[in-house]
Amino acid sequence: MWCGCGSTVSFAADVDWAKQNGAQIERFNLAQQPMDFANNKVARDFLERSGHEALPLILVDGEFALAGRYPNRTELARWTAIAEIIAETKPVTGCCSGGKCC
Amino acid sequence: MKFLDQPPRFLFFTGKGGVGKTSIACATAIQLAEAGKKVLLVSTDPASNVGQVFGISIGNHITVVPAVPRLSALEIDPQAAAQLYRDRIVGPVRGILPEAVVKGIEEQLSGACTTEIAAFDEFTALLIDSSLTADYAHIIFDTAPTGHTIRLLQLPGAWSGFLEQGKGDASCLGPLAGLEKQREQYKAAVDALADDKRTRLILVARAQQSTLREVARTYEELAGIGLKQQYLVINGILPKIEAENDALAAAIYKREQAALHAIPDVLKALPQDQVVLKPFDLVGLDALRQLLIDTPYQAQAATDSPVGLDEPGLSKLVDGIAADGHGLVMLMGKGGVGKTTIAAAVAVELAHRGLSVLLTTSDPAAHLIEILNSALDNLTVSRIDPHAETERYRQHVLETKGAQLDAEGRALLEEDLRSPCTEEIAVFQAFSRIIREAGKKFVVMDTAPTGHTLLLLDATGAYHREVARQMGNTNLHFTTPMMQLQDTKQTKVLIVTLAEQTPVLEAASLQVDLRRAGIEPWAWIINNSVAAASTNSPLLHQRAINELREINTVAKQHAKRYAVVPMLEDEPTGVSRLLELAGNSN
Repeated sequence: MWCGCGSTVSFAADVDWAKQNGAQIERFNLAQQPMDFANNKVARDFLERSGHEALPLILVDGEFALAGRYPNRTELARWTAIAEIIAETKPVTGCCSGGKCC
Repeated sequence: MKFLDQPPRFLFFTGKGGVGKTSIACATAIQLAEAGKKVLLVSTDPASNVGQVFGISIGNHITVVPAVPRLSALEIDPQAAAQLYRDRIVGPVRGILPEAVVKGIEEQLSGACTTEIAAFDEFTALLIDSSLTADYAHIIFDTAPTGHTIRLLQLPGAWSGFLEQGKGDASCLGPLAGLEKQREQYKAAVDALADDKRTRLILVARAQQSTLREVARTYEELAGIGLKQQYLVINGILPKIEAENDALAAAIYKREQAALHAIPDVLKALPQDQVVLKPFDLVGLDALRQLLIDTPYQAQAATDSPVGLDEPGLSKLVDGIAADGHGLVMLMGKGGVGKTTIAAAVAVELAHRGLSVLLTTSDPAAHLIEILNSALDNLTVSRIDPHAETERYRQHVLETKGAQLDAEGRALLEEDLRSPCTEEIAVFQAFSRIIREAGKKFVVMDTAPTGHTLLLLDATGAYHREVARQMGNTNLHFTTPMMQLQDTKQTKVLIVTLAEQTPVLEAASLQVDLRRAGIEPWAWIINNSVAAASTNSPLLHQRAINELREINTVAKQHAKRYAVVPMLEDEPTGVSRLLELAGNSN
């Protein structure tokens, strides 16, 4: 189980890489920081429309950029070249998520 | 009593539910207060009867106990604390985020660890120096945090990557998000716990092999954190004199003495006290004063009024299970209530009726299972090794998820994987492979996942519900593992408990948890009942009378169906003894 969370791990490494290259990236976990989702209209509407199953959600400059999977380095690089990145990730109720079972 | 000799400021009693922690904590508090010390007694029992013991109502604030000079008490309800904790995190987004999302977050904060951490949050203020507690020479807790919780709070990664910045994606730390106090305060509290000049831990056990093994594990886990000053109290030992005129009492006496003789090595070195079973209820000051005093035991007059229990036996329940021809039967209950024995008895009963049965155990010490292997033609037996399964699962997660984490993150993940849930998930996965067999025959298992675990594993549960709703009248055939567990035609969950107050309460909360996952326990089984056995021992007779109240509670408040299984003189091994256990005279 842990539902193939390998992707989260490599994404974490990619984020570190992008940050080292000057990108500004913030990550949010729904279970741990629900207020950040509630306060962001794009994230809130996304959850309303597609549910938490559809996460992760990635916003760039506050606008929708990608959802349903984590971005790869090429995508991160492209966005970094455009402007700062804000990535909102939230793995869901079961897997790869905050508070697995405790 | 050795554990009362020069006690430090903090005394923690720990042990599984029903061993008598609260009674001994109350008795200790009374004794120290009457010796002239100012004492605060802290109970974290969700159904604390400390107020009842002292004839006052206490609740979640420090209350003076008028009947005992210098004694005050405080009741922390860990469930209520966990609820407040959830509300703090979820409350602000309720009505803003979609309901399914809010429910998902709540579920992550509904496990045992959240309750633990919320209770620890409440403890913290009492363990660090504060004006609140400055007056008390002793603070006595009727429970102690688990090693897992303490280790989690000790890890720097838990704080640096998470609490201070509120960021990070460690997987098991959701519950930590609601911690309100400063890191320094938790550190001070953990330091106080690990300081043997300030803290003494008293392990409370019964003279039962499985209980003593469990206590040995607790000892090692907490000693590993630095809680080196530990004492052992073995409660409720049947006195020898009681064994003289009654076969059941003699058998219990023999079993208890054997368990004491075979006590695990790590416990042998600890200062040990033994508390003899008392012939009275531990309610009221006088009774509690006598609990820790070794008065010469007076044999009670034998009673001639039998308890006269007329309750359904296991065999009757099995009638209902057998009627469906095949299916999954899962036994659920806390450790030590006899799930494996009951599973074996149910399996043998079913096989005895000519039905094809697979019995699966996760109890490494279940010798009775081997004996059954070749006993009946249509009964097969399999075994799952929880340690091996858990280890395989841990390795898998560490290799996939932990590979690229830094040292702190990895330490956090490793601790995360030591949570009790990890074993539950790993074992359940192993069982899942066997569950498929239940379409053709009976599969009986001596364990079941909690509702909380199922809800978390069933990541797409909301989706399933949605599909089911939309498909409503179309009669298309589809099932999911979760739906199989929810359908009582296919799966019957039997809750096993003992006819004692705390085990019944614990079983009731297991039931609530299963219902949250849409699973309705099919029946309750009250195991090891003295009331259902026959005895001339006055002490056991008293116990039988006390059991009646609990059996009645189960019958009236908790169970759809139930059975009472008598305590036997010998451990039931072999087919004929198991059939006897089920109440089958054949």
